[in-house]
Amino acid sequence: MPTCQKAARPLVRSLRDAQSSCQSVRAIRAFTSSARSNNEAAVESTRPTPVFDPATVTSIKGEKALMKSGIFPIGSRRRRAALKSSDNIPFEQLPYQCFQEARKVLQADREEKLQAIQKERLRISNLMAQDPSNISGGEKQKQIRLESMRRHLEYLKIQADINDPLIKKRFEDGEGDMNKPIYRYLADRKWRKYQRLVIVQRINQLGIVPDCLPHFEPTADVRLAFRKRSVLPGEFVDSRVSEVPARLKVQVFDKGERLVSVVVIDSDVPVVERDNFTSRCHYLATNIPLSPTQTSLPLSQATETQLVHPWMPPFAQKGSPYHRYSVFVLQQEPGKTLDPAELREKIQRDGFSLRSFVDKYHVKPIGVSIFRSLWDEGTAGVMHRAGIEGADIEFKRKKIEPLKPKQKARGWEARHSGPKYSWLRR
Amino acid sequence: MLLPRLQPQLRASLASIGRAAAAGSSQGCLNEAFGQLSIRAASPVLTFVRHASHAQQGAVNKAKDGPGKRLGAKKSGEQYVIPGNIIFRQRGTHWFPGENCAMGRDHTIYATASGYVKYYKDPEKHPKRQYIGVVFERNQVLPLPRNSVRRRRLGMVATKMELPPVEETTVRTDLVLEGDASTGVTVKQTKKKERKGEEGRNLQLRPGYMYREANWEIGRAAERAKVKVREFKPRDRWTAWRKTTIRKAKNAEKKGLGRRR
Repeated sequence: MPTCQKAARPLVRSLRDAQSSCQSVRAIRAFTSSARSNNEAAVESTRPTPVFDPATVTSIKGEKALMKSGIFPIGSRRRRAALKSSDNIPFEQLPYQCFQEARKVLQADREEKLQAIQKERLRISNLMAQDPSNISGGEKQKQIRLESMRRHLEYLKIQADINDPLIKKRFEDGEGDMNKPIYRYLADRKWRKYQRLVIVQRINQLGIVPDCLPHFEPTADVRLAFRKRSVLPGEFVDSRVSEVPARLKVQVFDKGERLVSVVVIDSDVPVVERDNFTSRCHYLATNIPLSPTQTSLPLSQATETQLVHPWMPPFAQKGSPYHRYSVFVLQQEPGKTLDPAELREKIQRDGFSLRSFVDKYHVKPIGVSIFRSLWDEGTAGVMHRAGIEGADIEFKRKKIEPLKPKQKARGWEARHSGPKYSWLRR
Repeated sequence: MLLPRLQPQLRASLASIGRAAAAGSSQGCLNEAFGQLSIRAASPVLTFVRHASHAQQGAVNKAKDGPGKRLGAKKSGEQYVIPGNIIFRQRGTHWFPGENCAMGRDHTIYATASGYVKYYKDPEKHPKRQYIGVVFERNQVLPLPRNSVRRRRLGMVATKMELPPVEETTVRTDLVLEGDASTGVTVKQTKKKERKGEEGRNLQLRPGYMYREANWEIGRAAERAKVKVREFKPRDRWTAWRKTTIRKAKNAEKKGLGRRR
């Protein structure tokens, strides 16, 4: 196969050149399929470095080169190969009658939805202009009706675009504009299909819900990473990796900018005196702006007006059961900021309770990411560098006294228990 | 049994033959009559009669009661238990393991923490199931209120970590004595000659429970030893032939040596 490819290569190239010349403005059709001499010469002299298109790259080499430069190839390799060989005719010009008829149906539906949106907007504005005394039920009923109408408007906005193949394509290519409701809707649906299920399962399995919070329904996607290492929910992370502050990527699926607080809690701090566990705050920052398009949230970048407690590296003393570290993203009330100086005074690291924090400052938990930690070779070094005491403490299981006292040896065993028979007992 | 039932029909047919013979009295008539002969069964189904018999199953044969299996509660409510104590033996799951309890292979409920046994129901967890749990204090109640913090116990003591003493090299084979009684004797260890490319290896305890380098370091061993290998060219028959002849000559030489011995 390679030989025949090699043999055919000049022919293919010349054919391609001929095609390109055909497509040019000066459409002169060459009678021979071989390339013109000046064309050939130009190609050989320049010898451009191959530039890979992320939409059509199929070779492993090209993919690697692209990824090295920070661009990731779009879609699957199979899709890229298909795109490469296709003519990339836009949808409007595709010569399939049934397809075009179907598009017309979709377009008609979209028009209908757009009209409904306009109508709904008008109804909302009309209702807002009305005096609540004229409405049965008064102000409360008016607000309820407005709320339900707005919900319906959002529904219509999504229904207008949900069947558009181009929107679906743009979303799958990762080019969706998160300011538009349809892309937020699609992203939310995708998140709920897998990522949310995983994080909810971890919340239940690791007992985050009764231990940290009484109830919790995550509504935002939180991805956790330390430097380059991304962490899956509930994964065990080496203490040397988690020494640096984490990087968060928080994707919210509802519109608008809001302020959030970020808390990192260790809910398995052993307390030997009380033979119990307590929790500790490893990081606390408030008033961090977040919006659907502004997803990056590196914890090390918190400013003086945001940071309450700086990052304390997670550590688990030797022998203690695994520590659960949960990174909570808490949405503050709209338009309200928390005072970090005041928080610094009031909130201690040791014995931090997320339940009371949530109740006191009226923040709403929207997302969580969880990782776990155990003693490893690097923990002592990490604790030393962070100036934490207690690296030389090892936890050992407390001996539980058996219910029955050990029975005294009888018979043969009693006779052979003396020092004379020590050789019998290894 | 069949014969007596067939008898009347046979008789009738024979009578008909006799009548035919009387009328025609010839060979052909007889044949015709035989052709008309047909035996009709009284009914197509054979009926059998069931007689009284002895039942084989059920309680009739005096069912044997096997030896008792000593099932049931081994620890009653609020009794103190330690981890591993069996609380309930059962066939199937009459009781389910609750707080600080677990279920064994034969559905036995046993304690996983020391404390006091509680028998309880938890309608929020399951509407019908009954659970056995262990609480740390006798006055504690199960089930816990909804969404309250779990009760936990550390069950550990903090001890000072005993660091293993730094291991001294105690190899006595390569020791060299230097100096004499007047100047004082010093013992020096000759450095063991390492193989080429293995200098300064960093051996660590790895998952296979052996002290070795990482795989990527092993892979770089030839590079460190500066071993040069001529690049393999697939169609270079000349080099291949030369190598083959050298190898064959070597083998022949070895064989010759072996024979002489």
